[in-house]
Amino acid sequence: MKMKNIYLLILVLGVLVSACELPDNVDPKSATDVPAETLMANALRDGLRHLDQMNQNVNVSRLMCQHNSMMQYPEPSRYEFSDRQIPDGYWNTTYLVLQDLREVRLLIQDLSGSESFNRNLANKMAIVDIIEVLMIHNLIDILGDIPYTDALGGFDNKTPAYDDAATIYNDLLARLGTDIATLNAGINDGSWGSEDLVYGGDVAMWKKFAATVKLRLGMRLADTNSAAAQSELAMALTAGVLEAGEVMQLPWIGVSPHVNTINDVFIVANRTDYAPSLTIVSLMEGLNDPRMDNFFSQVDTSSETDVEKWAYVGLKYGLSSNESYPNYSHFSDPMFAGDFPATFACYAEVQFLLAEAAARGYTTPMSAQEHYEAGITESILFWNGTEDEAVTYIAEAGVAYDAARWKELIGTQKWLAQYNRGNEGWCTSRIFDWPVMDPPEDMTQEDIPSRLPFPYNEPDLNLENYTAAAAAIGGDDVRTLLFWDVKHNSATPSPN
Amino acid sequence: MQAQGVQVTGHVTGADDGTALPGVSVVVRGTTIGAVTDFEGNYSITAPDASVTLMFSFVGMLTQEIALEGKTIVDVVLESTSMELDEVVVTALGVSREKKSLGYSVQEVDGDEVSGTAQSNFAASLSGRVSGVQVKAPNTMGGSSNVLIRGSTSITGNNQPLYVIDGVPVDNSNYATGSDGWGGYDYGNVAQDINPNDIESISVLKGAAASALYGSRAANGVILVTTKKGKTRKGIGVSVNSNFMVGSIDKSTLPQQQFEYGANYGPFYEDPTKNFFYGDVDGDGTNDLIVPTSEDASWGAKFDPNLMVVHWDALDPAADNYGEKRPWMAPPEGNRMPSFFENSTIWVNTVAFDGGNRDGRFRLSYTNHDESGILPNSELKKNTVNFSGSYNFGKKLTVSANVTYNNQKTTGRMGTGYDGGNVMQSFGQWFQTNVDFERLQEYESPTGLHRTWNYRYWTPDNLTPIFFDNPYWVRYKNYNDDYRNRVLGYVSADYKFSDWLTMTLRSSIDTYADVQNERIAMGSTDTPSFTTRQRNLMESNTDLMLKFNENFGNISLTGLVGANYRHRQQQRITGNTVGGLVVPELYTVSNSVSPMNVTEYLGILGEQSLYGNVSVGYGGFVYIEGTARMDQSSTLKSINPDADDTYFYPSIAGTLLIHELGGLKDVTWMNYLKLRLNYAKVGAATGVYRTISTYDQGTNWGNMALFSVAGTLQNPNLRPEFTNSIELGLEAYFFESRLGIDLAVYQTNSFDQIFDVPVSRASGYNRMFVNGGEMENRGLEVALHLVPVKTANFTWNIDVNWFTNQNTVVSLAEGVTSLQLMSAWDVKITAAEGEPYGTIKGTDYVYTDGKTTVMDNGYLMVGDDPLAVLGNVQPDWNMGIANRLSWKGLSLYALVDMQSGGDIYSINTKYGQATGVYAETVGNNPKGNPMRDPVDEGGGNIFEGAVFEDGTPNDVYVPAYRWGRYWYYNNSPTARYVFDASYVKLRELSLTYSLPASVLGNGVIRGVDIALVGRNLWIISKNVEHFDPEVILTAGNRQGIEQGAYPTVKTFGINVKLNF
Repeated sequence: MKMKNIYLLILVLGVLVSACELPDNVDPKSATDVPAETLMANALRDGLRHLDQMNQNVNVSRLMCQHNSMMQYPEPSRYEFSDRQIPDGYWNTTYLVLQDLREVRLLIQDLSGSESFNRNLANKMAIVDIIEVLMIHNLIDILGDIPYTDALGGFDNKTPAYDDAATIYNDLLARLGTDIATLNAGINDGSWGSEDLVYGGDVAMWKKFAATVKLRLGMRLADTNSAAAQSELAMALTAGVLEAGEVMQLPWIGVSPHVNTINDVFIVANRTDYAPSLTIVSLMEGLNDPRMDNFFSQVDTSSETDVEKWAYVGLKYGLSSNESYPNYSHFSDPMFAGDFPATFACYAEVQFLLAEAAARGYTTPMSAQEHYEAGITESILFWNGTEDEAVTYIAEAGVAYDAARWKELIGTQKWLAQYNRGNEGWCTSRIFDWPVMDPPEDMTQEDIPSRLPFPYNEPDLNLENYTAAAAAIGGDDVRTLLFWDVKHNSATPSPN
Repeated sequence: MQAQGVQVTGHVTGADDGTALPGVSVVVRGTTIGAVTDFEGNYSITAPDASVTLMFSFVGMLTQEIALEGKTIVDVVLESTSMELDEVVVTALGVSREKKSLGYSVQEVDGDEVSGTAQSNFAASLSGRVSGVQVKAPNTMGGSSNVLIRGSTSITGNNQPLYVIDGVPVDNSNYATGSDGWGGYDYGNVAQDINPNDIESISVLKGAAASALYGSRAANGVILVTTKKGKTRKGIGVSVNSNFMVGSIDKSTLPQQQFEYGANYGPFYEDPTKNFFYGDVDGDGTNDLIVPTSEDASWGAKFDPNLMVVHWDALDPAADNYGEKRPWMAPPEGNRMPSFFENSTIWVNTVAFDGGNRDGRFRLSYTNHDESGILPNSELKKNTVNFSGSYNFGKKLTVSANVTYNNQKTTGRMGTGYDGGNVMQSFGQWFQTNVDFERLQEYESPTGLHRTWNYRYWTPDNLTPIFFDNPYWVRYKNYNDDYRNRVLGYVSADYKFSDWLTMTLRSSIDTYADVQNERIAMGSTDTPSFTTRQRNLMESNTDLMLKFNENFGNISLTGLVGANYRHRQQQRITGNTVGGLVVPELYTVSNSVSPMNVTEYLGILGEQSLYGNVSVGYGGFVYIEGTARMDQSSTLKSINPDADDTYFYPSIAGTLLIHELGGLKDVTWMNYLKLRLNYAKVGAATGVYRTISTYDQGTNWGNMALFSVAGTLQNPNLRPEFTNSIELGLEAYFFESRLGIDLAVYQTNSFDQIFDVPVSRASGYNRMFVNGGEMENRGLEVALHLVPVKTANFTWNIDVNWFTNQNTVVSLAEGVTSLQLMSAWDVKITAAEGEPYGTIKGTDYVYTDGKTTVMDNGYLMVGDDPLAVLGNVQPDWNMGIANRLSWKGLSLYALVDMQSGGDIYSINTKYGQATGVYAETVGNNPKGNPMRDPVDEGGGNIFEGAVFEDGTPNDVYVPAYRWGRYWYYNNSPTARYVFDASYVKLRELSLTYSLPASVLGNGVIRGVDIALVGRNLWIISKNVEHFDPEVILTAGNRQGIEQGAYPTVKTFGINVKLNF
């Protein structure tokens, strides 16, 4: 073979290699740039859905506060969280939402323009901040210490350290203060548009909501830091909290997957795993509560043919057996609707917070009894009841205000008013230690959790920080009290 | 000078094909007098006298000795040894090489061995036949095969080998859904499209050195398939192959149910006995006992022929037997769960034509595969047409082409995992043993309503399924179907510049369209739905190679240089209904209650490479071979300008043929002794789109788009990953090759791996792509070949393959010491630093003085550590033993396949015991009383042999009469359900008869082989109840979990081969 041929071959090889331009490594079917609005709407949708979640795989608050019992697969209601890794689900969604909100900030932070534009932008940032505060306090209220300053570090911090929960709370309260000031300054400058699924960018409403959360978090400190509680209360009232008829709600559009989580679980997924607990049903029956119709359905308890005997039947909390769905009451019909809104703050909650403050001797607009009764009335109206029903109800022996039993009365009524709001319901039952929770079958009061364990994946993924956090809170045990939680009720002894 | 002695001449031919054998050594025994046959196989030798004995020997042939006894013409037919020492094997890039010169391990399997039992996935047939190759399959029709060669090397990536057919890489995507165990269908991995009947032989390239030329994709070894080609012959040859197999389930691998007690979760129901629903079904004014239909457990009333109960089938007002009461009894033997399974049948028919002359050759074949599975409404049909041909244009240019068209259509794939679509989830975990399967067959009422044993409640408005659909409804209403059309082929031109230099240009494609449709009918437990996944794949490879082969005296030189361009485009569109179906039985995506959901994927990958290898031999006894390859991959392109998308890696291998060395040449008992040593480095890129992050899109909120930051953080700084491997091997044949041994020891380290490491979600992500982590595999492989008996008519061959692979996860990414490959059902399959890959973790027993410890209440204590090591997925060793007895035309073959060690966590066992469905939940306790009686009546059960914390023996009986008690108390340790996965199986048994030529005469038919074949006929030994320890969820890295496993199918049939 001639050398010429070899040169020719080398040339062909060379051409073959260099001629081919490799394709780009950019996914043509996914977005690399998106408007901040789409992330904002998604974060609100995911975050609020999560706080409201019916599904016990990610949020067990509705069970922990015993508004609901488990009908099938009772393990989560019996405080077995490891099989389903429930804390992991809760934690994961919270940080996912915080990550989306962080991205919203990154996408809009470099914008600037006219003064009014800048105030509009500041309003947007403040609203993002308020939602972040809401998500973070809800995670703390379930776990205690969590990664905060180190969180969302990406490649730079794969193993974030946990921060002290009380310290984070203080920071959250300060952030709310700043947000309120920002919104106040730009009250007429607008903010988000329709991507704000809650208030449609209504700056004044966000400011009221921020003040309400400030009031809520401030009052959480009442048992451990009374001075802080009082000053937060004062600041919240000055800023202006939610007023009669005002709510913070996510109005579901009712089209799957954007449906109320009750609808999602019972109708879309066709599950029949939950029923109202006997704890709430028997308590309300004892008080002749007018809201029962709006809370629950009735079942025919007659064992005879042709005789109907309709009644509210609650499911005893924490049975180890599986029960039959048709034998128990359920949510009332309207609550199953796909567009039934989820509530995250309301005037009734404000009134109960103020009633508690007044009972503790803090400065409030009205007396403890007046706030207490206003809270009850607002709740009955909220659930489509009437003023007359409220008047009758407030006169009931177990309802009428009695300053000596303020913890029991305010705790119980606030807990009832927070029906269908598992997270706040569980906070209420822990803060007041009223109403008394029913221990699951074969268990005692001492077995009732005060928090959830840290995510089961954390020892695997973040061992050092997990270990430090567990030590810092006094052990990663479900009976370890949160920093704001002090046991009052003799029926629920402090573990030792 | 006058010649002395006797002149002897003759002709030597080979027994196989009757052709002349050149180069055969002819020696007068006891002397140094010798000769060699010429090109025509003729020899001439001068013997000292006519009484001596001549020895005829040739590599790869059995040496023959013939006494002259006065003869002067001696013609000899040499039989080949069963181990061909001079054999030529197919190596990387389809290059044929003399096996003796290779410095790495290659093992071959004959095509007949993989086609004999009509497996729809030929890879399953490799189990036990090749040392170092582990094959596991989930017992699903047309399902996936998990094939590991020398263990797992990648932490989270693909560990399956590369399949190459005639030099063309074949896509082997695994389309099984639900590898996490939460339910899906086993659509199989698509290398199973390779038609076993077109396979001439399979070469398994095990080590990195063997596969280095393939680059990235071959890091897990290569399964190299050579197809049958046309032969030079007179006229056109026709061969017909028919295979018919019947399968039946191996009942020892089914959940073993109890038939003493029926439905419920324990005594807390409405009737006075607390075991039944209680209401007036027939309207006679008195309450009836009604089976508690809503309960998917069997802790109920003891069967009693005198107890009259309304069974589930009598609750439908439209039923003929509405309100009928029948005795509370277990169904008759023939109507129990095993009766749900049908016999499977497989028909495989192949016809092939071939022919050829001096200038060209061709082969054309057609195969039809028609299979029905063990489940109702399951069938799989495949058609394959293959054409291969080559033609010589003059002396220099040869053009060849090979094209395979393949279609498959399957209806009723088997659902897997923890899902109602898998009937085994109910049969093995959640069931009522009072259910009569014959009655279940009426799964639909005349008005189209779903009839199931698992009604929500007994009242007419609650006759809808609560947890489980009727299994027949699952199979006939909620069935899926899928089909695939595939074309695979190449054209290749070889130009011979000279005797020593050839250029090859080869272009190949592999392209298919695949469609999967899944249905949930209205009336099912799950939301009615329709899902379709449509995929297209197109992969092309172009190689330009320059091959050379020349001898310079004692030095031989062979090798090649080449370039490859690879382009791969994979597209997927998935559409599904949301929120239900509008019109019943209309399975289209647009028939959706809420707006339908459509997602798309398009993956485009390009790679170009330069490669070369050269092998230098000296004196035919020492060889040194080196390879080098440089790849550039689009997957490493990044926004980071410093990112390097080009990488280089070499290998080197040495071979020494000791038997050729001076002094050893004449050792007659040693035929062959080869030492080989190699070192190789292989680089690999990664999957597409891992260097640039994108957003996830959710379902629109009204008309507002929703986006979210993706949970996985991509990495702009990814580098290629590498594997280093070193291997030492020894091959030897002794005593006329009646004893052969092939040993290999190796160590493989895969490091700088690109993987998505799980991270604390508080970092903002679930997972991040990083370079990091190292896995080490060390192993020993032994292949033994024995011919204990060999006479003129009878031969006994034994082939043993034994291997062990020890794996260690050396390191993971920075800050990560352990990651979970899977975590569910209270068990974790992990990869942790310093531990073998696939370690099973969970809670352990608490041991006191070596005994399990119970609490004061008699229940097991559970260890505090949620990540206690409980076992490992990987076996200690595997072994296959094949025996072949041949007597004249009759041949009996038996393959025993075994695994020692390895563990499996059984979710069926956990729940099947918890629900009282399993046989061990009935019977007597050590006191001799029924364990299901209440403890205070002498019943209950006891953890025997356990002790209390203070060391005193356990004497507390615990309840065994309802959900969760004893058999799965709310916190039994994970360890209670981890089992030893060892097994010994009679994998294959066949009896083949080849009609002798004397019977066939000179008729049209030139050969007839009839074989009776059986596969998986007998599990000789296993250490688990209720399932086959060999089962898997699906191919992939999530192994060691039994979840709703299907029974093993024993198949048996006949195979007829006719040659015209």
